[in-house]
Amino acid sequence: MVDVLKTLDLEYLAMNPASNFRGVHEAVINYGMNARPEILTCAHEEIAFSMAQGYAKIEGKPMAVICHGTVGLQHGAMALYNAWCDRVPIYAMIGNIVDADKRLQIFEWTHSAIDPAALVRDFVKWDDQPASLQHFAESAMRAYKIAVTPPMGPVLLSLDAELQENPIPDRDRLRIPALTRVIPSVGDSAALAEAARYLVAADNPVLICDRMARTADGMTRMVELAEALQCAVVDMGGRMNFPSRHPLNQTGSRVAVIAQADVILAIEMNDLFAATHFLSDRIERATRPLYKPDTRIITLGSRDLFIKSNYQDFGRFNAVDMAIAGDAEASLPALTEQVRRLINARRKTALDARGKQLADAHHSLTEQIRSSATIGWDARPITTARLCAELYAQIQHEDWSLVGTGINVTWPMRLWNFDKPYSWNGSSGGSGLGYNAPASAGAALANKRHGRLSVAIQGDGDLLYVPSTLWTAAHHRIPILYVMHNNRAYNQEYMYLQAMTNRHNRGVTNAHLGTTITDPNVDFATVAKGFGVYAEGPISDPADLGPALQRAVAVVKRGEPALVDVLTDQR
Amino acid sequence: MRGRNRISSAVIAMLGLGIGAGAWPLDAPGGDAANGKRLFLAIGCFECHGRVGQGGYFNYQTPTLAHTALPLEGFRVLVRMGLNDMPAYKEQVLSDHDLADIHAYLRSLPGPRPVKDIPQLNP
Repeated sequence: MVDVLKTLDLEYLAMNPASNFRGVHEAVINYGMNARPEILTCAHEEIAFSMAQGYAKIEGKPMAVICHGTVGLQHGAMALYNAWCDRVPIYAMIGNIVDADKRLQIFEWTHSAIDPAALVRDFVKWDDQPASLQHFAESAMRAYKIAVTPPMGPVLLSLDAELQENPIPDRDRLRIPALTRVIPSVGDSAALAEAARYLVAADNPVLICDRMARTADGMTRMVELAEALQCAVVDMGGRMNFPSRHPLNQTGSRVAVIAQADVILAIEMNDLFAATHFLSDRIERATRPLYKPDTRIITLGSRDLFIKSNYQDFGRFNAVDMAIAGDAEASLPALTEQVRRLINARRKTALDARGKQLADAHHSLTEQIRSSATIGWDARPITTARLCAELYAQIQHEDWSLVGTGINVTWPMRLWNFDKPYSWNGSSGGSGLGYNAPASAGAALANKRHGRLSVAIQGDGDLLYVPSTLWTAAHHRIPILYVMHNNRAYNQEYMYLQAMTNRHNRGVTNAHLGTTITDPNVDFATVAKGFGVYAEGPISDPADLGPALQRAVAVVKRGEPALVDVLTDQR
Repeated sequence: MRGRNRISSAVIAMLGLGIGAGAWPLDAPGGDAANGKRLFLAIGCFECHGRVGQGGYFNYQTPTLAHTALPLEGFRVLVRMGLNDMPAYKEQVLSDHDLADIHAYLRSLPGPRPVKDIPQLNP
């Protein structure tokens, strides 16, 4: 089994130790010499799976995770669901004792199941429970191939304890098949040519992208298409798709540019409906399109190629004029080439004029945003705008990577210069709390070898799900700066509950009940120190924030994790 | 649905006039800003708009209210009816008097400062 894992070149194996994969565990450390894969010790399976999700998005390949087939998988299921929703490959394995005749004490019965993968089958791409080592070798290759083929997703193998532990009687007969990766599909050439004609002829085409960039080339391809068209780009932020300061980036004016669009090309969208509609979540939920009735909508992506039914992460059905199936990153060069062929000198003059207008709009909005960031500059609790500005002031000259944020990505994206493929690492996918801290650590682990400075803006509610992530970061010397956005509340829920109290016009002063994290206040710096992490805070005076961040950055640059607890306003 | 849309449009129009080129005269100060601050924090306004009216983020960006130019009457209509995802605050939970105090608090808050004075915003 370890030979197979080494063939797959899995760099890490994240785990919380458990008896029913003790065979693989021992083989990894003693036969495999704890290298490729190297064990990452986690104090909760949710941390292991989330680390794998964050790692895969930076590194571009899966991390392996192993856990108990029953109790461990139940702990980890939430994180596996996030990865599924985020279309991220995770190489998951679980232990099981298939043969009832081999189960001894009661815990081996409670830790066994007929079909342990059934628990998560709705949100993994593929699973298997191999009956022999040869079966394992072949399924292991198949699982990897499926996981990394767009649309990507987690896969799961259930490993029988007998298969893990017993002597191998027929070693010479076993073989490890070669792994051949599937070449991502390119959209139909005729359809791409038709899309190009619509885009070039349009007065106000708009490109909307979400989980588009899956490799370091993705952002470049997106820029090439946008610059050929000199059109507006709206980046929904599922991946690092488009530079934040590119003059064609009109994300901050999403509503306005979609309202003016005559052609929309929606690329690898997670939720096209939400991106193109006004959603009112006030009393009665209501929606209306942002686009005009005659706006032509074209989709390009792999989302239509693989969807499951139970969990509704595919979003609301949105009628479109053309749906091109194919991996967008693989398809964009062909589309861009078609676009370039259609642009003559006269058309180029018109497109350049449009580009100039968009650049002016981008500049005006940027100035307006910087002005908005000054409001409450010296306020206590510290505003999120100041937190982001102070943090950027400390890292802007480093090779930084924002690996996670608990405040949405709006302030950083509006104030910082995101221009590298690793500048941003996307969000959770399933919006399940407990993602940000461990996924950021996993991403920071991937950034480590490149010498990048990983920073995460960390929500207090999220960290309380998975605080021992800090121990794992300290134990494995993962350099990452956690800057706490400590607003002492589950603020999204706080706002939702406020709306409910208003709906009934009663108890409008009670929305803090069940939504705030006070009395006692959590001392996150002390918590972090207890896990062996350098920490400062809580910082309440905004004047103290810059120096504290500067000291913490120095710690991270030495190769260690650090945490600065900042008392912030709500958002 | 249609009725609510009409009301929302009226509120938007009023809001636009208030923030625009001074078509509405600013109200004479009348409310108790200190009480307005207490209420702003107590009844949950700060959750979306920030404790000093700097704005925030709910399902999308929420409006800045610091040093609002919105006249009291426009503010009253907006708060009573709600707008977009903002819940309505009816008279039974917020009196007109208290509403005026909140308005006074928002009017008392400083607006934006010159960006050039803040080095962290001039990288």
